[in-house]
Amino acid sequence: ATLTRQDLNFGQVVADILCEFLEVAIHMILYVREVYPSGIFQKRKKYNVPVQMSCHPELNRYIQDTLHCVKPLIEKNEAEKVVVVIMDKEHHPVERFVFEISQPPLLCISSDTLLSHVEQLLRAVILKISVCDAVLDNNPPGCTFTVLVHTREAATRNMEKVQVIKDFPWIVADEQEVHMEEPKLIPLKTMTSDILKMQLYVEEKAKKT
Amino acid sequence: MSRDGWRKKASEDDGWGGMGGYMAAKVSKLQEQFQKDAPIERQKDGKYSCIFSDVAIYVNGYTDPCADELRRLMMLHGGQFHLYYSRSKTTHIIATNLPNSKIQVLRGEKVVRPEWITDSIKAGRQLSYIQYQLYTKQKGLNFTSMCKRGGQDSVSSRDPAKTSLSLIQSDGVQPSKDILKSTHINHATNSTEQINHQLDIKLNGSYSIISDEDAGSHRMNGIHNEDDDNFCAPLSRGSRGPLLTNGYVHPVNGALKPQDLMEHLPQVVDAESHRPNNPQSGHNEKEQLSNLSCAGSKADLHQRPSVSAAAPVEQHVPYNMQNELQPKPTCNPGTSAETSNLQNQTSKILLNGSYHTTSNSAHADSAVGMQSGSKQAAHGAEAGIISEFFSHSRLHHISTWRNEFSEYVNTLQTRRRAAGGAVFSGKEKLRKLKANCHSGSSMPAPQARQSCILHVDMDCFFVSVGLRHRPDLKGKPVAVTSNRGPGRVAQRPGADPHLEFQYYQNKQKQYRKEKTDGDFEMTPSPQTEETPSNGVNLDQTALSMAEIASCSYEARQAGVRNGMFFGRAKQLCPDLESVPYDFQAYKEVALTMYETLASFTHNIEALSCDEVLVDATALLAELGVTPDELAGVIRADIKEKTGCSASVGMGSNILLARMATRKAKPNGQYFLRSEEVDDFIRDQPVSSLPGVGRSMSSKLASLGVSTCGDLQQLSISRLQKEFGPRTGQTLFRFCRGLDDRPVRSEKERKSVSAEMNYNIRFTQVEEAESFLTNLSMEVQKRLEGAGLRGRRVTLKVMMRKAGAPVEPAKYGGHGICDNLARSVLLAHPTDSGQLIATEAIKIFHALKLDVKDMRGVGLQVQQLEGSHADPSGHGSSRGRSIRDMLLARQPVHRQNKESLAQDGLTNTSPSRPFSSNQEGVLPPQSPPSTLLDPIPGTSKGELLNPRTPNHVRTSLNLSIEVPSPSQVDLSVLEALPAELRKQVEQSWSHREERPSTSFHLSTPPRITSTPAPMLGTLILQIPNQSGQPSTTGIVLELPDFSQVDPDVFAALPKELQEELCSAYRNKKNAQAQSAAVEQKKLFPQLKQPAVGKTKRRYKRKNASPAKNGPSPLKKLLQTGNSPAKSSPSKMVSLPINNQGLKTENVRCTSSPSTDAPKILSKFNPRPVPTLAGAFDFSDIRTLLHEWVTTISEPMEEDILQVVKYCTDLVEDKDLEKLYLVIKYMKRLMQQSSESVWSMAFDFILDNVQVVVQQTYGSTLKIT
Repeated sequence: ATLTRQDLNFGQVVADILCEFLEVAIHMILYVREVYPSGIFQKRKKYNVPVQMSCHPELNRYIQDTLHCVKPLIEKNEAEKVVVVIMDKEHHPVERFVFEISQPPLLCISSDTLLSHVEQLLRAVILKISVCDAVLDNNPPGCTFTVLVHTREAATRNMEKVQVIKDFPWIVADEQEVHMEEPKLIPLKTMTSDILKMQLYVEEKAKKT
Repeated sequence: MSRDGWRKKASEDDGWGGMGGYMAAKVSKLQEQFQKDAPIERQKDGKYSCIFSDVAIYVNGYTDPCADELRRLMMLHGGQFHLYYSRSKTTHIIATNLPNSKIQVLRGEKVVRPEWITDSIKAGRQLSYIQYQLYTKQKGLNFTSMCKRGGQDSVSSRDPAKTSLSLIQSDGVQPSKDILKSTHINHATNSTEQINHQLDIKLNGSYSIISDEDAGSHRMNGIHNEDDDNFCAPLSRGSRGPLLTNGYVHPVNGALKPQDLMEHLPQVVDAESHRPNNPQSGHNEKEQLSNLSCAGSKADLHQRPSVSAAAPVEQHVPYNMQNELQPKPTCNPGTSAETSNLQNQTSKILLNGSYHTTSNSAHADSAVGMQSGSKQAAHGAEAGIISEFFSHSRLHHISTWRNEFSEYVNTLQTRRRAAGGAVFSGKEKLRKLKANCHSGSSMPAPQARQSCILHVDMDCFFVSVGLRHRPDLKGKPVAVTSNRGPGRVAQRPGADPHLEFQYYQNKQKQYRKEKTDGDFEMTPSPQTEETPSNGVNLDQTALSMAEIASCSYEARQAGVRNGMFFGRAKQLCPDLESVPYDFQAYKEVALTMYETLASFTHNIEALSCDEVLVDATALLAELGVTPDELAGVIRADIKEKTGCSASVGMGSNILLARMATRKAKPNGQYFLRSEEVDDFIRDQPVSSLPGVGRSMSSKLASLGVSTCGDLQQLSISRLQKEFGPRTGQTLFRFCRGLDDRPVRSEKERKSVSAEMNYNIRFTQVEEAESFLTNLSMEVQKRLEGAGLRGRRVTLKVMMRKAGAPVEPAKYGGHGICDNLARSVLLAHPTDSGQLIATEAIKIFHALKLDVKDMRGVGLQVQQLEGSHADPSGHGSSRGRSIRDMLLARQPVHRQNKESLAQDGLTNTSPSRPFSSNQEGVLPPQSPPSTLLDPIPGTSKGELLNPRTPNHVRTSLNLSIEVPSPSQVDLSVLEALPAELRKQVEQSWSHREERPSTSFHLSTPPRITSTPAPMLGTLILQIPNQSGQPSTTGIVLELPDFSQVDPDVFAALPKELQEELCSAYRNKKNAQAQSAAVEQKKLFPQLKQPAVGKTKRRYKRKNASPAKNGPSPLKKLLQTGNSPAKSSPSKMVSLPINNQGLKTENVRCTSSPSTDAPKILSKFNPRPVPTLAGAFDFSDIRTLLHEWVTTISEPMEEDILQVVKYCTDLVEDKDLEKLYLVIKYMKRLMQQSSESVWSMAFDFILDNVQVVVQQTYGSTLKIT
């Protein structure tokens, strides 16, 4: 069976895959960048590689809710970037993990290629995250994190109108949370598949402490 | 007790509740029973053994022998029988047929056919189960080794998720589904291709000669044309006889009801091509129109509307056909000039012209083989072996005949069209005969109005031809084979004929099941001769492995079959006589047969050298004879002229005619009347239907279907579910005797390939590579011969199966092999052997094979299109249409430049034009670049197109090539008509007035001493496009000034000197404009393999700086200014201008100095960024490495190219690759001893950083 972009479930398929992946990726980032103590993480298997997932229910809830809200955006191809921002105590970003999502070059997919290929690519991204501390400077202690979404066009207005999850509103990010002094860009991984094109890079503050 | 209560109790009770508890108890009880029964059975039977002592089987589904019998056998022979499958305890699963879902569940288990048990018992020992594995056998697809490595992955590849997981674990093995996918794509693209093919046929009559699947769909012989149809794939890959397969395979396409339009088209054209043949048939067609009761005419009606639409095209045909069809199908008598033949023949690819030498040379060949075993074995690696092989392979010859006869039929039709009618001697004779017999009662028989197809098939063709001059052998069992000895040969060390024999016997057993009466079948191993060698102890002899090509009916009665090994046949039938091949005679007889048939009608479809379909509908109607009368006359005629007997089957369609032939044989005729059809077909075995091969008949058997009558019971939806929509429908129709395939004398070709699996013994990788290159050249020859180019390149490799003997039983044969196939889709269709070789070698390396185990190599090119595609671009590939758009948008200027650039090249190196790139600066002598990559999505690939010049030039109305004034003899000029003279003079004045705006600089580095001839080829091209004089570009092709030898220059006549001087002056002026051109061409320069050349070039450049004014950027570099300040240069600044911060998915279409990519990017929104044609990271790295290490001082153009590439990467959102490239360059350039490289890197990095900054608001972190 061949799905095309026009098919209704196409966007859903992409969004499902991507959000599943983002959840894993966010957990991994939090673990690797030591935002939370490693004690709250548990080793699991995803994409056939070991990953670290948090066991902290509230944290997990937050991540899930966030992604739940991101999903409709991805479905409509309205999210340009999903950014995991790691901030220091003063809430100045020190690191940004940017998942830049764009349209794949091909217009149609066949179910044959779908899972296997994408899964391989996503695995590669996860693995890259797990070793990214090698190319990044250490973060100062006491960091927090937040998730930003860069939307395309007027998607924000819709988001304000419709709350996907009750009492989980989205707000426009403060300039303080977005601005980074002398950001340095470290590309981590680029993947191109039939259904999804995504690249992950880190923006790092030149002087973190 | 209530039901609920019972259930509750059951679920709670420990012993019975849980599945485990109950099942465990049951299984152990069964086990006990089995053990108890075993001794009893043994006593009963008397003979028993322990060969299966370590075996525990589980029978799944229907088997033969049945499960009970297998259970008994296991008891007798020490094995275990499990009624319930246990993954840990059961060692083998016995099944003859498994549904896909079960296969997936059982992945990784040993699933074996029951024959394993029976054969093992017969052999008295436990045989290796490998050859009895179910999947490897059943899936005719070529990835049996996948099954081995990845544990039956290929079978389950329909489930992408699961496949992927297991594939990843098996190291580096490419997912086999790629192949499946590719066939899928083939289907999708079929429609356009078919249209193309048809168009091509019309434009180029000779093209159709090389029809679809020529008989060589076999492993060992040359051409392997596979139908794209999945349906046929198992057939042609299986071990069926080539010619038989052939006949059945091709029409499958047409056999469907025209559900989809494209299916319909070929038929339409075909019908059209028949029409003008018979001027008389017009009225007949009308009759048919009114005769709705007949199935055949219904199909006709169906086609009618489109036929008229096709008519205008048809009118062109006779012209071209006449021109093209000069080479006749008659045997080309050249003895050894094979290569020259191939070059000369535009239409026939495979007429090597060595037919009559074949038998001799083949013998000589084998004689040599016996004498110098190891030496001969290495021949696979030698250069000439491929041409050698194909010119000697007997099967290859026979397989090419079909093409020839198709061509012959075509020629006849064309000739008649040209002559406006023809005399059918046979028809006249028949008419007279008829008149004599029935003078007075001339009412045509009613059935004559129905469509009637005759299937003429020679009886035991090879035998009867062989017996023409051996009357003494008539009535005796005779076989045609290459072996003339007693059927025994010496056994070579390392060979294990026993194992292979079993393997093949096994294969044959199945093969014979569905074997039909065709008398021309072969098994897929190559023909060799094995005669007892001198001095070898005869005790060690083995049975001869020479196949029997054909055997007489007497021999068949003794159990001998076509395709059997001679040694075995000799055992079955000790007084079997062998007759040698006589290719010349076959050829003669076949030709005579065709001539005979052609004397009746020209509606002939050549199926093979001894099998023909004749559409006699019109003939019968015209003469008013019955089919039986006609068949009788034809048979008598053939018998009289050839001395061989033929059988004729008749029916209302091809299917029925073929089936009738089976009944007619031997030496008879049978007319299957429409009223008998139902009864007749009900009893026919399904395997007699075309397209039903071993795998399908076994699949059908599992559905309980063995005859067509059984098949009729199944609904169409059921069939389609089981076999897919197309095949299902075909089966549904076939089993009811419905078949609307027309008799087609023209066929399009689906693939071109060359394959060789005899004597392939490599020792080194290089040998394999050079072999691939040679094979590619063979493919190129064939492609060129067919006038085709293809996009998909498939490499097929036969690897010795693990565990198979190193030395196969058959000398030089391939033995038991795994077949691998990988294919790659090129960006643009090609017929370049070099390109194909590059791709093939790449695939080959990706497969990571042990060359020592290679036993066969094949290259196939699919997705064909004509090399002279329709200039309007209709129906041609996407690449072409983009190009056309490009041309349309850039009307004259670029066209000139390109066409001239190409012209210059084609003039200097006509033999290999395709290795040049767009700007065409490759020196004529340089070998084609091996780095050249066909890249999907790049613009260059298309522009490499060797045919462009013709193409472009035809699109211009007129183009004149005028030599320079000094070159023209004035007297000649004066002799020209005034008009023409004026034009020439005008062109000169144009050139003088308008020193080129678009210089094309050709700088062949090696030409230093002979500039004169080069300069003599100044080319002017003035397209006669009125109203646009300003765009007329005049292009001078000059070598670099430094290239001109002063002595030679001085020796030139004065006018010429002046002309040159002015030309060079102009060239200098035009330097600025030419910069763009120059820039693009430099990187290709880098790619030239000859490093020294590159160096030289750069030195030269540096030596003459005055001429080559340093560009601003270069100055910058040299003066050491901070490049950062200058970064808003032409190229880099564009993204800045176009792009705001936080882009809203606005892709900045930065326009570099060249126009082409910009325009291209409009149509292809995301071209993969390339650096001098390379896009793969490893290629880029190689390129950069070569650049940095071989050149002391980088050119600014090259640097800009790199910057451009990096910028493209940013835009393409491929930061990862950018990062890698930058880091690699940093390492390379900063290590370089030349400080200029370090500066170059800084420059590149700064530029890239600016772009990244603009796009992402941050800069790359470079550590």
